[in-house]
Amino acid sequence: MVSIVALCIVTFSIGYMEDDAAKGRFFAGVAFFMFSMTGIILADNLIMIFLFWELVGFSSYLLIGHYFQKDEAKSASQKAFIVNRVGDFGFLIGIILTYWQFGTTDLALLSVKAGLEPTLISSFVGFLLICGFIGKSAQFPLHVWLPDAMAGPTPVSALIHAATMVAAGIYLLIRIDFILTTEVLTFIAYSGTFVALFAGFCAFAQDDIKRILAYSTLSQLGYMAAILGMGFSGIALFHLITHAFFKALLFLGAGAVIHACHHEQSIFKMGGLIKKMPITAITFIIGTLALCGVYGFSGFYSKDAILIAANDHNMTLFYCLVFGALMTAGYMGRLVWIVFFGKANSEAASSAHEVKPVMTVPLIILSGFAVFVGLNAYWPFGLGASIVSDLDHLHHLSNYKEIHKWVLILGSLAWVIGLSLSLLFYGRGSSDDHLQLKFPKVFAFLKGRLWIDEIYESYVNTIQKPFAEFLSFADEVILRGIIVRGGAGLVGILGIGFRLLQVGKLNNYFLWFFVGLLLFWLYGIDLF
Amino acid sequence: MMYSHLLFSTIWIPFICGLVFLVLVKDVKTLGARLLGLSGASLPFIFAWILYFNYDSNPANGYNFELILPTGLESLGVYLHLGLNGISLPLFILSATVGLSAVAYALFSNAERLNLYVGLLFIMFSGLMGTFASVDLFFFYFFHEFALIPTFIMIMIWGGVARHAIALEMTIYLTLGALLSLMGLIALYQQSGAEAFNMIALKTALLEQPISDVLQDNIFALFLFGFGILVSLFPFHTWAPKGYGAAPTGAAMLHAGVLKKFGLYGLLQIAIPFLPSGSETWGIWLLLLGLGNILVIGLVTLAQKDLKQMIGYSSVMHMGYAFIGLGTFSILGAGGALLLLVAHGLSVALLFLLSTCIYKRFSTFNMNEMGGLGQIAPNLSVFFALAILASIGLPGFANFWGEFVIFAALAESESTRWVLYLAALGIIISAVYGLRAVGNIVFGAAKESVVNAKASSGIGDMNQIEKFSATVLLGSLLLIGVYPKVFSDYSNKTLQNLYSDTSISLNDGNVDGLNLEEQKEHE
Repeated sequence: MVSIVALCIVTFSIGYMEDDAAKGRFFAGVAFFMFSMTGIILADNLIMIFLFWELVGFSSYLLIGHYFQKDEAKSASQKAFIVNRVGDFGFLIGIILTYWQFGTTDLALLSVKAGLEPTLISSFVGFLLICGFIGKSAQFPLHVWLPDAMAGPTPVSALIHAATMVAAGIYLLIRIDFILTTEVLTFIAYSGTFVALFAGFCAFAQDDIKRILAYSTLSQLGYMAAILGMGFSGIALFHLITHAFFKALLFLGAGAVIHACHHEQSIFKMGGLIKKMPITAITFIIGTLALCGVYGFSGFYSKDAILIAANDHNMTLFYCLVFGALMTAGYMGRLVWIVFFGKANSEAASSAHEVKPVMTVPLIILSGFAVFVGLNAYWPFGLGASIVSDLDHLHHLSNYKEIHKWVLILGSLAWVIGLSLSLLFYGRGSSDDHLQLKFPKVFAFLKGRLWIDEIYESYVNTIQKPFAEFLSFADEVILRGIIVRGGAGLVGILGIGFRLLQVGKLNNYFLWFFVGLLLFWLYGIDLF
Repeated sequence: MMYSHLLFSTIWIPFICGLVFLVLVKDVKTLGARLLGLSGASLPFIFAWILYFNYDSNPANGYNFELILPTGLESLGVYLHLGLNGISLPLFILSATVGLSAVAYALFSNAERLNLYVGLLFIMFSGLMGTFASVDLFFFYFFHEFALIPTFIMIMIWGGVARHAIALEMTIYLTLGALLSLMGLIALYQQSGAEAFNMIALKTALLEQPISDVLQDNIFALFLFGFGILVSLFPFHTWAPKGYGAAPTGAAMLHAGVLKKFGLYGLLQIAIPFLPSGSETWGIWLLLLGLGNILVIGLVTLAQKDLKQMIGYSSVMHMGYAFIGLGTFSILGAGGALLLLVAHGLSVALLFLLSTCIYKRFSTFNMNEMGGLGQIAPNLSVFFALAILASIGLPGFANFWGEFVIFAALAESESTRWVLYLAALGIIISAVYGLRAVGNIVFGAAKESVVNAKASSGIGDMNQIEKFSATVLLGSLLLIGVYPKVFSDYSNKTLQNLYSDTSISLNDGNVDGLNLEEQKEHE
């Protein structure tokens, strides 16, 4: 999956990056990224995974910071790396503790040992291990880096933030799910559902095409995490694969649009593009339908499986996820209506034209996958064993038929309602957001992404920075100035004092001699 | 025998070169002088690697390439006794590498009275090689001082702002540290009743009759604080950032990169194996003060605006990992600390080298006034970014393995696990200040100063010699990072011999733990 997607993305990049001065650096970064990513996938023990894990972080740092002249890219790349480091901090400790607990970090051995001695498994280590996942897959509360990371070139966003890097977190969980306790899994399920909803809301308030997709990625990752937390890692993997294809497709489509509109990213400055770039538009719409889970597209099969499993497991989460699906359709519909229909809203959009074949061919290939990958569900032998067993499990539920009916109805309702509502609001194409005008406060709130960024920032500015400054001051003044220098000063003062005694006058020496004698005498008669 | 003379020659070649430069060479810019300088710097490097490839991992009394020369002080048990074991070998190669890089860079620099500068640098170089090649404790100390004194002189003459006060402060502080450790060494020698003033004799004597616990505690305290001052153990670190800030490039590279490691090397090679009960008493202090290095100084580093000061503080911070690695008293922890010493030596020397290159382009060390280096000097930017990433422990560079093994050692026993949770915070702190530095310097729009420098004096990207010096260091970092076995096998063997002969308790986990690194080789 990773290699197919990457091939398409790299081909696309040839077109996208053609007029960039630093092509060499870009492709080197991508190649390095691929190296690390395949490293994660092929690694058979946690230490190797961690190694490549960090390298993936590093190469994404390089790629996000590609336009290094821009301040935005600078802060975004730093943020991505540091936030990931925070996650890795827990992950690293988790790995080390796992090693001392089980005596190995080899995944195969680990699963055998965990099976034999379940008492060795601890929630504490589990929580530490999933820190890595939270950082890399941009789950709450470490999700802040992903939307900012859109400062990188679009193919990078497709590669890193849709198809592969963020998926690495889910992949990790799938590999280690046997050492996660129920508490950890439940936590993952709830936090995943929360992210799925939260990111869906945020996506509504964005007007940058890439950010909308970024939030949509977040929300889909939430889905995967939720289902994984319910114990169906196979289905999470299934959704991971289908999602990678259609989300890469969407990002590349967005890239094509941005390229055609001369690097304009605001959706309200586009419009009417379906006539000017039909291939891109059609493939993009295919991706959208797949994402919404419309019947027949790949997203349908995986989302369907997720909803059935959730229904079986936890009804609250099930309704939340259905509502999430509704929102997905809503914001994606908003995006499609505004960008591709209506009339052009800016110079750039009206002069846009279809991109070169080197960019459209990958789009077409990916849309093929976006449609057909899901069909694997019918002859599941092409998929991994875990997917098959999870799907089997679902098919053999006692009330499978009934649940399936419900899920089909609700799932379809979700996308039908979502798409039509968005058609209602945005169908005519527009240069500004009607909804935003109606509910400015709600939008400001969502755009502020719950102010998580602000909380972190104020922590850095009001607590950490002054504290660091204070320590620096203390180090400089108290430690170096008073204690170290003070020692030297004391010696100096003593020196001055003693020099005063040695004035070279005989009567002076006599005086001190008698003072000394007096002291001895006083001491002698026990006066002290 | 031939190899032991090769070992000896790594000490006297730089020394002779130093004398020649001090006395005979008038103009360093002539071809002859440069050739002499380059060969004087590269021969020790080549010899060091020849010795490496002929190193026997199971020598009779723990040391390879032994050479014993009379000195006239035989009655005191002092011989010029050279040799290498698994602990000194990596540091020996480290000093040859950093020495080559620093001297090569200095030869083509524009310092005033360049012949003196290069000459002193060579003397320092020779002292460094001697320190790590000495088995004899007198010469171990002697060579250290031999390298230390040129450092002071160089700061006095070629230093930056406030160089006199800083050099004086550094001199007094470091001499105090050296004095304390010398007292420790002499006390140890006296009490052990060893026949000669060297590590082998000490070990034999102490195995036969260990000294009393009280004495051990007292001597270890001397070592801890004496060596601690030399390695900038918190809170005795204040000389370091200022000193490095003022020191000229070559001196800063050699001192921060290699000479500073003397203290930890002493703890690793002498204090801990020879004074097991003393180390147990003081172990908690190693951990606590090491944490002080990591957390307190880490945060102080965050507040730095001056590039060179930041590097100086970060180097103080990373020494904390080495201290807590030692504080675990396990082979794993000691091995990790040793690996980190080498890695840190290479990376901090590289950072000082590059900071000078950056200074040349911006004419300032203030990071807030920098920016846009990436547009003017892409190669320099890449080197700098990689050097920073290496120092914050990115996998693929040597530093990662050092930190990782130390963390693993901390988790090994329940009693030190709490340290791990705190110490690992350091990886976040260092990522923050490291990336901030890269962000401020490399990213952003090009500042006027750097554009002007290019326009007026033609200083754009790195020149050949800058590239050469940086590549030597970065290449070694990568080599160890990708293949840590280069040194770890030899050092494990020595550490096992040294630590298991003495009464330090070992659990079985250790041997498994060493496989951590081997697992990497599978890929």
